[in-house]
Amino acid sequence: MAADNPIDPIHQFEISKIAEMQIAGIDISFTNSSLFMVFAIAATMTLFILGLSKRSIIPNRMQMLSELSYNFIANMLRDQVGDQGRAYFPFIFSLFMFIFFCNFIGLIPYTFTVTSHLVVTFAFAGLIFLAVTIIGFMKNGLGYLRIFYPSGIPIFLAPLIVPIEIISYLSKPISLSVRLCANMLAGHSILKIFAGFIVMLGFLGFAPLIFLVVLYALETLIAALQAYIFTILTCIYLNDALHPDH
Amino acid sequence: MKFFLKIFIFVLPLSGAYAEGQKSAGLPQMDISTFPSQLFWLIITFTALYLFIWKFVIPRLSTTIEERKDKISNDINDAENLNSEASKILENYDDKMNSASLESNEIVSSSKATMNEYLDKLKKDNEIKINAMITESEKKIHQQKQQSEQEIKKATIDTIKSIVSKYVESVPSDDEISKKLN
Repeated sequence: MAADNPIDPIHQFEISKIAEMQIAGIDISFTNSSLFMVFAIAATMTLFILGLSKRSIIPNRMQMLSELSYNFIANMLRDQVGDQGRAYFPFIFSLFMFIFFCNFIGLIPYTFTVTSHLVVTFAFAGLIFLAVTIIGFMKNGLGYLRIFYPSGIPIFLAPLIVPIEIISYLSKPISLSVRLCANMLAGHSILKIFAGFIVMLGFLGFAPLIFLVVLYALETLIAALQAYIFTILTCIYLNDALHPDH
Repeated sequence: MKFFLKIFIFVLPLSGAYAEGQKSAGLPQMDISTFPSQLFWLIITFTALYLFIWKFVIPRLSTTIEERKDKISNDINDAENLNSEASKILENYDDKMNSASLESNEIVSSSKATMNEYLDKLKKDNEIKINAMITESEKKIHQQKQQSEQEIKKATIDTIKSIVSKYVESVPSDDEISKKLN
């Protein structure tokens, strides 16, 4: 298919079945998406297994990498949430590593970007939204509803503020998932389009090639940045749930 | 990113045209039939990763980091102890140096004092001796003077007597002469 349409930028997002599978009539085939999910967790596991095989006080390179990622997320969680966030650290850490590796593996040509599919990012965002809401009500009871009416706002503004706050709260999972998915989708499409231009222009293809190199650097930055943004926003939502009155 | 989104939206219909005739036109993201499979495998892989990180990575990494922190704080404690010990030793040394210099100063000043005393005593003794010698020699001189005066007197008298005896019969006695001389 790729040979038929060398510049089709959407082709890279197509899901193709590798092994057919069904449970109770529902199609859960092992697809290229599933394969790259497995690659992402395999990459994470490899990093940590190599990094933790020979643990020492003075770390080697792989141990340094795993400790850096650990400290990065641990510090982020501590800064945003404080000590109460400790219980959620395994989830936040797994979330960051998963999205980070999905984004980065997706940058390799001819691979599939798991996070470019809205259903995946929305699954994460929806899970986070549900979890944060449940945690909020569990920790604060009905007092959690205070997040819809920030303190220090005059009462006559309440009819205006409360609906706005409710809408902004409900739109959190949508903005969270669409931000990541759209970034991946748009970035990878542009890369593919410019790669197609190189082929089409032949000798003159060096011009889009230069642009592609610059764009690729930008996409590398975005891959890391979007994983970071997704994780830090999760931390911020968690902080709102644990400390609703700021 | 808005810029890229705009380009993307611009390109979208083109890609739709290219994808025509394929099994799914439009975005593969909107193909609902792939959702169960994606969600199923996402749950499986992410759960595996979560368990791996929860049960394997975090305990090991946190113990390693704790151990390192302990080691560093222990080393810092040791260094601080050694440092305080060293400063104590330095203080001791300074004290000793100070007391030694004080002592040596004392010794120097006391020996100076004894030396001065000795010198003073020596001087006094010598002065006394010299004074005694001076008085003695003065006495001697005085005696000598008196003696020589008397001798001169006697010699004068004798001379007068012998001169007078040459010209006069009766020689005056010594007492008469000395009366006249005076």
